[in-house]
Amino acid sequence: MRDRRGSGAGRDEELDREIAFHIDELTRANVARGMTPEEARRQAQLEFGGREQVKQEMREVHTSQAMESARFNLRAALRFLRRSPSFSAAVILILAIGIGADSAVFSAMDAVVLQPLDYPHANRLVALYQHDSKHQNGNTFVAPVRLEDWNHLNSTFTAISGYYTDDMSETSGSLPERVKLALVAPRFLQVLEVAPMLGRDFTAREEHFGGPEAVLISYAFWQSHFHGDPDAIGQKLHVGSFSFSIVGVMPESFAFPDRDVELWTPSPPDAPYAQDRNETWFQAIGRMKPGITIRQAQTDLALVQQGLGRQFPDPDADLTVNSEPLKETVIGGIQGSLWMLYGSVTLLLLIACSNIAALLLARTADREHEISIRFSLGASRRAIVIQLLSEVLALTLAGSLLGLGIAAAAAHEFHLLAKTLPRAQEISLNWRIVAYSLACAVATALACGLIPALRGTRRPLAHSLAQTNRTQASARSRLQWFLVGVQVMLAVTLLTGAGLLLRSLQNLDRVSPGFDASHVLTFQITGSWAETSDMAALQRRIDTTLDALRAIPGVEHAATATFLPGVPAKYQVQFSVDGEQDPNRKILADLRVVSQGYFQTMQIPMLTGRTCRAGSPTSDMVVNRSFAALYFGDSPEVGHVLTQITNTPNPVEGRVVGVAGNDREEGMNTLPVPTIYLCLSAGGPFSYYLVRTHGAPLTMADAIRRRIHQLEPNRSVYGISTLQEHLSDASFNGRLRTILLSLFAVSAVVLACLGLYGTLSYLGRMRQREVGVRLALGALRGQILRGFLLQGIRVACVGCVAGLLLSLFTDQLLKGMLYGVSTVDPSTYLGVLGLILLVAAASSVLPAWRAARTEPTQVLRQE
Amino acid sequence: MPPTDKTDLLQGTLDMLILKVVSMGPVHGYAISLRIRQISREVLHVQQGSLYPALHRLEKRGWLTAEWGESENGRQAKFYRLSAKGRRQLTAEEASWNRLSEAVALILQTAEQQA
Repeated sequence: MRDRRGSGAGRDEELDREIAFHIDELTRANVARGMTPEEARRQAQLEFGGREQVKQEMREVHTSQAMESARFNLRAALRFLRRSPSFSAAVILILAIGIGADSAVFSAMDAVVLQPLDYPHANRLVALYQHDSKHQNGNTFVAPVRLEDWNHLNSTFTAISGYYTDDMSETSGSLPERVKLALVAPRFLQVLEVAPMLGRDFTAREEHFGGPEAVLISYAFWQSHFHGDPDAIGQKLHVGSFSFSIVGVMPESFAFPDRDVELWTPSPPDAPYAQDRNETWFQAIGRMKPGITIRQAQTDLALVQQGLGRQFPDPDADLTVNSEPLKETVIGGIQGSLWMLYGSVTLLLLIACSNIAALLLARTADREHEISIRFSLGASRRAIVIQLLSEVLALTLAGSLLGLGIAAAAAHEFHLLAKTLPRAQEISLNWRIVAYSLACAVATALACGLIPALRGTRRPLAHSLAQTNRTQASARSRLQWFLVGVQVMLAVTLLTGAGLLLRSLQNLDRVSPGFDASHVLTFQITGSWAETSDMAALQRRIDTTLDALRAIPGVEHAATATFLPGVPAKYQVQFSVDGEQDPNRKILADLRVVSQGYFQTMQIPMLTGRTCRAGSPTSDMVVNRSFAALYFGDSPEVGHVLTQITNTPNPVEGRVVGVAGNDREEGMNTLPVPTIYLCLSAGGPFSYYLVRTHGAPLTMADAIRRRIHQLEPNRSVYGISTLQEHLSDASFNGRLRTILLSLFAVSAVVLACLGLYGTLSYLGRMRQREVGVRLALGALRGQILRGFLLQGIRVACVGCVAGLLLSLFTDQLLKGMLYGVSTVDPSTYLGVLGLILLVAAASSVLPAWRAARTEPTQVLRQE
Repeated sequence: MPPTDKTDLLQGTLDMLILKVVSMGPVHGYAISLRIRQISREVLHVQQGSLYPALHRLEKRGWLTAEWGESENGRQAKFYRLSAKGRRQLTAEEASWNRLSEAVALILQTAEQQA
């Protein structure tokens, strides 16, 4: 048997053979009847008739009907677009905005949330944390020895590794530049399954203490320092006081733990200084074996840690293991915001759809005659529906292409907007986005085209060429009103969400932080964790630097702090007061390490006692008002001794010397929490410097850099920025989502108004005759006007109420993004109601007025 | 030798006749035209120009299946065979044809009697 569904040529040959057989048989029969072979064949061919014609007919049986009708429908669709250019342009524009915005937000969603991280089998990568269950100790970093134990004893990971970062100064330029270095535990690249682009990974010898000092450099560092010269491999790199051999160059796309890291070097776990189980060094990462779930991995590690707890009761018995997909760690809490925005922009597209559906409904009504004729010419309903749908598809495809064009053109601005998103550099316009927007086009074509197409063709054949049927018209306008109601409802939902976000922004702007962020310059100076082995020296270094800063003309105050005030960074610690530990009451407080001058620099008022003093003993502490009120009760504040409850070797202990005013150090949207300030210049090697200046803070930047360079030529100043900029960066994502949601909401309201306007105008046209008759019978124009106006407002009201009810549910999604306003804020809801009714009335007035202006004589003459 | 007194077939009737002939066993196009002529005692001559497109149409609708095989005299020919779907279709068409012809016969008789 041959392939009957073969290619056209194969089929043709088959047809030929079938026909040839028939003719041969006829010839044979003729010969049997006594004809000469030539005569027999001639007669046979004659009897068979036009051979080519028969073949053509047989071919037509097989040519795909789908192809034929697709071509026909396409032609009809293009004709339709050309015939009504302004209508087409309006629809395409609405869709371009809807689909373009949706695709743009989807591209961010896709890159940040949906796509796996850019490592092989990235879904097997997890971040691992140790958690001190007994002590309120936020530290989740893992000691090198424990990391090695986890790696040896588990059965669910192919490898576990870890890293931390340090700063170094690179001194080849006129002023030292900071270089960020990642110190990595063994197996780092093995866990990530990334190989150097050039050169090799670390050898086992290099990962051991006393082995050769090796370094991997980033692609950017390779370009800037070696101009991409492959001979960089093997060269010595002098950074700070270190000298490394370059063993490899990482690929350009490699940016782990972040894009700033330029060098990677091993941190040997067998170093003598790394043997303390109380150390907290590494952010641990692991690669699970194939087929292992994160739950299994966590259970496995929990067992491992239990074993370690028996072996090393102090401190391992108190530790538990937590894990989460590495992706969660990388993208942080941005998921909620992105989903919210994606939901809103999709809602907007839905509004655009119902808007266009209403437009099409009116349009199909205008084309009733054309459809009737097609019916009477024998077209099936299916064929007509498909034709109507392909017209809409042509519109939505054009819309989505234009939308993609807009999205591509706006890609640069979008990247700027999204710059604070994690993985922002991975957001791009790729084939997935193109496919998505094409899918959008098909979905919207069905969503806005199906109802009008089915409606427009739902008619018994008997009606064929009959005149417009009034009951049908009113049924259609009911559907149109329904669509308008839906638009209003969805617009209201977006509007309440935007309203709530706007109100919380407003509240935040009104909040007084309790400190003065203006005229404060912030920066950091390179340091290294190695300095923490001699805390006294570190403190001396920072004190000297602070003194030098204070001496610069134009500087009023200078101080250091472990965290920037107003930028969220929680470090919660458990304390006992005066050595007493109430088992029923935990004393929890944020611990902030600040230097002398902090309260003056930040202009935080002192309520009682004194502030941190120069050369004061390292055990001075200042608490804020809410700490004093919560934990000291009525007893005098000054003089209490606070001791950190912890299992680390050097618990923080100090005597309260003063009480400061409450301020929002945890961020503008967080009420002041009980806080303990430890008076210490050096909380760590990377403290933030805060400098209060006379003039504009940034004008001091250069003077400060030069002064620090004089003082310590091997250190560099980095991250120079004003405190206000840090604060606005910290609230940027909140602002961004508010701005975007407001934009979507405004577009939604505009679309809903257009829908209302369009529907009322259409209705006015439809009812022209009725209005004319009523006017002729003595109705007042005012009554007519009121009638139309009320109809529009009534629908808007119903949609509005439905929308507010819907908001009660959808606004729950905003929980956690709001400040000082509840998810069911009555004044926001009332405001939305008022606004919607106002714009609904405004967009109804013109069509209502036009309808009421109908000239009775003119209408009656037309009939 | 074109037929002189050919009787036109009603539309759709040809399909039924083909299905009927094929229902008697696998058969090629030439044999079908021959058999329709023989069985109808030379009354019905099927034009090849109608027969082959009809065969292919029926095949496409799934009422017939086709397979290349060897003819009586050892040549390759395309043999048609009735599918289960085609058998149901044939039954339905026969029933409707019988109803129609009875009705027509009834009208002719009654009209004769009244005349």
